[in-house]
Amino acid sequence: MNDYIYLDVELKLKEDSSAVLTPAYFQGSIERSLAEFFGEIGGQTELELLKFDCTQKRGILKVPKEFSSKTKAAITLIGRFQDIPCHFAIVKTSDKPLEL
Amino acid sequence: MVRVKNRYIVVRIAPKNTSLSSLYVKEQVLAKCILNHVEKYYGVYGVGLLEHGFRVKYCNDRTKIAILRCSHHSYKFVTSILPLMTSVGDVPAKFNTIYTGATIMQCNKFIIKHQQNFLDRMVGQVVSAKERQEMIKRVIEFDTS
Repeated sequence: MNDYIYLDVELKLKEDSSAVLTPAYFQGSIERSLAEFFGEIGGQTELELLKFDCTQKRGILKVPKEFSSKTKAAITLIGRFQDIPCHFAIVKTSDKPLEL
Repeated sequence: MVRVKNRYIVVRIAPKNTSLSSLYVKEQVLAKCILNHVEKYYGVYGVGLLEHGFRVKYCNDRTKIAILRCSHHSYKFVTSILPLMTSVGDVPAKFNTIYTGATIMQCNKFIIKHQQNFLDRMVGQVVSAKERQEMIKRVIEFDTS
Protein backbone atom coordinates (compact mmCIF):
# COMPACT_ATOMS: atom_id res chain seq x y z
CA MET A 1 0.00 0.00 0.00
CA ASN A 2 2.54 2.53 1.16
CA ASP A 3 5.68 1.78 -0.80
CA TYR A 4 7.78 4.59 0.60
CA ILE A 5 9.72 5.15 3.77
CA TYR A 6 10.44 8.52 5.35
CA LEU A 7 13.75 9.35 6.99
CA ASP A 8 14.43 12.22 9.34
CA VAL A 9 18.09 13.04 8.72
CA GLU A 10 20.29 15.47 10.59
CA LEU A 11 23.64 16.77 9.42
CA LYS A 12 26.30 17.31 12.05
CA LEU A 13 29.29 19.35 10.90
CA LYS A 14 32.60 19.56 12.71
CA GLU A 15 32.72 23.33 12.24
CA ASP A 16 29.84 25.50 11.08
CA SER A 17 31.72 28.47 9.64
CA SER A 18 32.11 28.07 5.87
CA ALA A 19 29.45 25.57 4.85
CA VAL A 20 26.74 26.75 2.46
CA LEU A 21 23.66 24.76 3.36
CA THR A 22 20.82 24.58 0.87
CA PRO A 23 18.29 21.79 0.22
CA ALA A 24 19.94 21.08 -3.14
CA TYR A 25 23.43 20.67 -1.60
CA PHE A 26 21.99 18.47 1.14
CA GLN A 27 20.23 16.16 -1.33
CA GLY A 28 23.20 16.30 -3.71
CA SER A 29 25.62 15.01 -1.10
CA ILE A 30 23.36 12.01 -0.39
CA GLU A 31 22.90 11.27 -4.09
CA ARG A 32 26.65 11.50 -4.68
CA SER A 33 27.30 9.08 -1.86
CA LEU A 34 24.73 6.65 -3.30
CA ALA A 35 26.41 6.83 -6.71
CA GLU A 36 29.86 6.31 -5.21
CA PHE A 37 28.97 3.32 -3.05
CA PHE A 38 26.41 1.60 -5.27
CA GLY A 39 27.37 2.87 -8.73
CA GLU A 40 25.38 4.08 -11.72
CA ILE A 41 23.02 1.10 -11.77
CA GLY A 42 22.90 0.11 -8.11
CA GLY A 43 22.57 3.66 -6.78
CA GLN A 44 19.65 4.85 -8.90
CA THR A 45 16.52 5.66 -6.96
CA GLU A 46 13.82 8.30 -6.62
CA LEU A 47 15.08 10.26 -3.65
CA GLU A 48 12.95 13.20 -2.62
CA LEU A 49 13.65 15.86 0.00
CA LEU A 50 10.24 16.80 1.39
CA LYS A 51 11.23 19.33 3.99
CA PHE A 52 14.45 21.00 5.00
CA ASP A 53 15.31 23.23 7.90
CA CYS A 54 18.55 25.19 7.38
CA THR A 55 18.96 26.33 10.98
CA GLN A 56 18.58 22.85 12.48
CA LYS A 57 20.34 21.22 9.46
CA ARG A 58 17.59 18.67 9.38
CA GLY A 59 15.49 17.30 6.55
CA ILE A 60 12.88 14.68 5.75
CA LEU A 61 13.64 12.30 2.87
CA LYS A 62 11.26 10.03 1.00
CA VAL A 63 12.66 6.84 -0.55
CA PRO A 64 11.12 3.63 -1.92
CA LYS A 65 10.88 0.91 0.74
CA GLU A 66 13.04 -1.64 -1.08
CA PHE A 67 15.78 0.96 -1.38
CA SER A 68 15.77 2.14 2.23
CA SER A 69 18.65 -0.05 3.43
CA LYS A 70 20.93 1.13 0.64
CA THR A 71 20.00 4.77 1.28
CA LYS A 72 20.59 4.41 5.02
CA ALA A 73 24.00 2.82 4.36
CA ALA A 74 25.00 5.58 1.93
CA ILE A 75 23.86 8.30 4.35
CA THR A 76 25.81 6.76 7.22
CA LEU A 77 28.99 6.48 5.16
CA ILE A 78 29.17 10.17 4.21
CA GLY A 79 32.24 11.66 5.86
CA ARG A 80 32.58 15.07 4.27
CA PHE A 81 30.23 17.90 3.35
CA GLN A 82 31.86 20.59 1.19
CA ASP A 83 35.27 19.40 2.45
CA ILE A 84 34.26 19.79 6.08
CA PRO A 85 34.35 16.60 8.17
CA CYS A 86 30.84 15.67 9.13
CA HIS A 87 28.42 12.86 9.83
CA PHE A 88 24.77 12.31 9.08
CA ALA A 89 22.51 11.00 11.79
CA ILE A 90 19.25 9.26 10.95
CA VAL A 91 17.09 10.50 13.82
CA LYS A 92 13.91 8.63 12.99
CA THR A 93 12.39 6.48 10.27
CA SER A 94 8.72 5.95 9.59
CA ASP A 95 6.18 4.58 7.13
CA LYS A 96 4.03 7.69 7.42
CA PRO A 97 5.29 11.26 6.96
CA LEU A 98 3.01 12.64 9.66
CA GLU A 99 4.74 10.64 12.38
CA LEU A 100 7.99 12.56 11.94
CA MET B 1 31.68 -28.63 5.83
CA VAL B 2 30.54 -25.70 3.75
CA ARG B 3 31.74 -25.61 0.20
CA VAL B 4 32.73 -22.36 -1.52
CA LYS B 5 30.54 -22.07 -4.57
CA ASN B 6 31.86 -20.49 -7.74
CA ARG B 7 30.49 -19.64 -11.13
CA TYR B 8 32.53 -19.80 -14.29
CA ILE B 9 31.55 -17.46 -17.11
CA VAL B 10 32.68 -18.19 -20.65
CA VAL B 11 32.89 -15.03 -22.75
CA ARG B 12 33.72 -14.51 -26.37
CA ILE B 13 35.53 -11.25 -27.01
CA ALA B 14 34.52 -9.86 -30.39
CA PRO B 15 36.91 -7.09 -31.46
CA LYS B 16 35.52 -4.28 -33.63
CA ASN B 17 38.28 -4.85 -36.14
CA THR B 18 37.34 -8.36 -37.25
CA SER B 19 40.53 -8.83 -39.25
CA LEU B 20 42.52 -8.94 -36.01
CA SER B 21 43.95 -12.47 -35.81
CA SER B 22 45.11 -12.15 -32.20
CA LEU B 23 43.94 -9.98 -29.31
CA TYR B 24 47.10 -8.98 -27.46
CA VAL B 25 45.30 -8.78 -24.14
CA LYS B 26 46.78 -10.13 -20.96
CA GLU B 27 44.70 -11.77 -18.25
CA GLN B 28 45.50 -9.01 -15.75
CA VAL B 29 44.39 -6.30 -18.18
CA LEU B 30 41.09 -8.10 -18.77
CA ALA B 31 40.51 -8.55 -15.02
CA LYS B 32 41.26 -4.90 -14.29
CA CYS B 33 39.00 -3.76 -17.10
CA ILE B 34 36.07 -5.81 -15.76
CA LEU B 35 36.63 -4.62 -12.18
CA ASN B 36 36.72 -0.99 -13.35
CA HIS B 37 33.41 -1.43 -15.11
CA VAL B 38 31.83 -3.10 -12.07
CA GLU B 39 33.01 -0.15 -9.97
CA LYS B 40 31.46 2.26 -12.44
CA TYR B 41 28.07 0.55 -12.51
CA TYR B 42 27.82 -1.02 -9.04
CA GLY B 43 30.16 1.19 -7.02
CA VAL B 44 32.64 0.16 -4.35
CA TYR B 45 30.00 -2.16 -2.88
CA GLY B 46 29.94 -4.19 -6.08
CA VAL B 47 33.72 -4.37 -6.33
CA GLY B 48 33.97 -5.37 -2.68
CA LEU B 49 31.61 -8.29 -3.22
CA LEU B 50 33.18 -9.36 -6.48
CA GLU B 51 36.87 -9.06 -5.59
CA HIS B 52 36.67 -12.04 -3.28
CA GLY B 53 37.10 -14.97 -5.60
CA PHE B 54 37.28 -13.13 -8.92
CA ARG B 55 39.91 -14.36 -11.36
CA VAL B 56 40.46 -14.67 -15.08
CA LYS B 57 41.15 -18.40 -15.32
CA TYR B 58 41.86 -18.63 -19.01
CA CYS B 59 42.18 -16.24 -21.91
CA ASN B 60 42.96 -17.40 -25.43
CA ASP B 61 44.24 -14.64 -27.73
CA ARG B 62 43.61 -16.54 -30.93
CA THR B 63 40.17 -17.99 -30.32
CA LYS B 64 39.24 -14.87 -28.28
CA ILE B 65 37.55 -16.89 -25.56
CA ALA B 66 38.02 -16.26 -21.85
CA ILE B 67 36.83 -17.97 -18.66
CA LEU B 68 36.11 -15.79 -15.63
CA ARG B 69 35.70 -17.20 -12.16
CA CYS B 70 33.43 -15.38 -9.67
CA SER B 71 31.83 -16.33 -6.41
CA HIS B 72 28.29 -17.70 -6.58
CA HIS B 73 26.64 -14.63 -5.01
CA SER B 74 28.34 -11.99 -7.15
CA TYR B 75 28.45 -13.42 -10.67
CA LYS B 76 25.39 -11.40 -11.72
CA PHE B 77 27.41 -8.21 -11.33
CA VAL B 78 29.73 -9.49 -14.06
CA THR B 79 27.15 -10.96 -16.41
CA SER B 80 25.10 -7.77 -16.29
CA ILE B 81 27.96 -5.40 -17.11
CA LEU B 82 29.51 -7.50 -19.89
CA PRO B 83 27.06 -6.21 -22.55
CA LEU B 84 27.89 -2.64 -21.48
CA MET B 85 31.62 -3.03 -22.05
CA THR B 86 32.93 -1.56 -25.29
CA SER B 87 36.67 -2.04 -25.02
CA VAL B 88 39.32 -4.19 -23.43
CA GLY B 89 42.64 -2.43 -22.84
CA ASP B 90 43.03 -0.29 -25.97
CA VAL B 91 41.09 -2.60 -28.28
CA PRO B 92 37.44 -1.70 -29.02
CA ALA B 93 35.53 -4.92 -28.52
CA LYS B 94 32.21 -6.46 -27.56
CA PHE B 95 31.74 -9.17 -24.93
CA ASN B 96 29.33 -12.02 -25.57
CA THR B 97 28.53 -14.33 -22.67
CA ILE B 98 28.22 -17.77 -24.20
CA TYR B 99 27.99 -20.00 -21.15
CA THR B 100 27.76 -19.87 -17.36
CA GLY B 101 28.67 -23.00 -15.46
CA ALA B 102 29.29 -24.17 -11.92
CA THR B 103 32.49 -26.12 -12.64
CA ILE B 104 35.41 -25.42 -14.93
CA MET B 105 35.07 -28.92 -16.43
CA GLN B 106 31.59 -28.08 -17.73
CA CYS B 107 33.02 -24.91 -19.27
CA ASN B 108 35.82 -26.89 -20.92
CA LYS B 109 33.30 -29.34 -22.37
CA PHE B 110 31.21 -26.47 -23.67
CA ILE B 111 34.18 -24.68 -25.25
CA ILE B 112 35.35 -27.86 -27.01
CA LYS B 113 31.84 -28.38 -28.39
CA HIS B 114 31.67 -24.74 -29.38
CA GLN B 115 35.01 -24.92 -31.20
CA GLN B 116 33.96 -28.12 -32.92
CA ASN B 117 30.84 -26.40 -34.24
CA PHE B 118 32.94 -23.46 -35.37
CA LEU B 119 35.33 -25.79 -37.20
CA ASP B 120 32.48 -27.63 -38.90
CA ARG B 121 31.20 -24.36 -40.25
CA MET B 122 34.55 -22.89 -41.26
CA VAL B 123 36.51 -25.86 -42.67
CA GLY B 124 34.32 -26.08 -45.74
CA GLN B 125 35.11 -22.50 -46.70
CA VAL B 126 38.91 -22.92 -46.68
CA VAL B 127 40.24 -24.03 -50.06
CA SER B 128 43.87 -25.08 -49.58
CA ALA B 129 44.71 -28.11 -47.44
CA LYS B 130 47.61 -26.41 -45.75
CA GLU B 131 45.50 -23.49 -44.60
CA ARG B 132 42.89 -25.92 -43.36
CA GLN B 133 45.46 -27.79 -41.28
CA GLU B 134 46.70 -24.50 -39.83
CA MET B 135 43.22 -23.41 -38.89
CA ILE B 136 42.32 -26.70 -37.22
CA LYS B 137 45.54 -26.53 -35.23
CA ARG B 138 44.82 -22.98 -34.13
CA VAL B 139 41.26 -23.63 -33.03
CA ILE B 140 41.85 -26.94 -31.29
CA GLU B 141 44.80 -25.51 -29.35
CA PHE B 142 43.06 -25.35 -26.00
CA ASP B 143 44.64 -25.94 -22.66
CA THR B 144 43.51 -24.95 -19.20
CA SER B 145 46.52 -23.79 -17.34
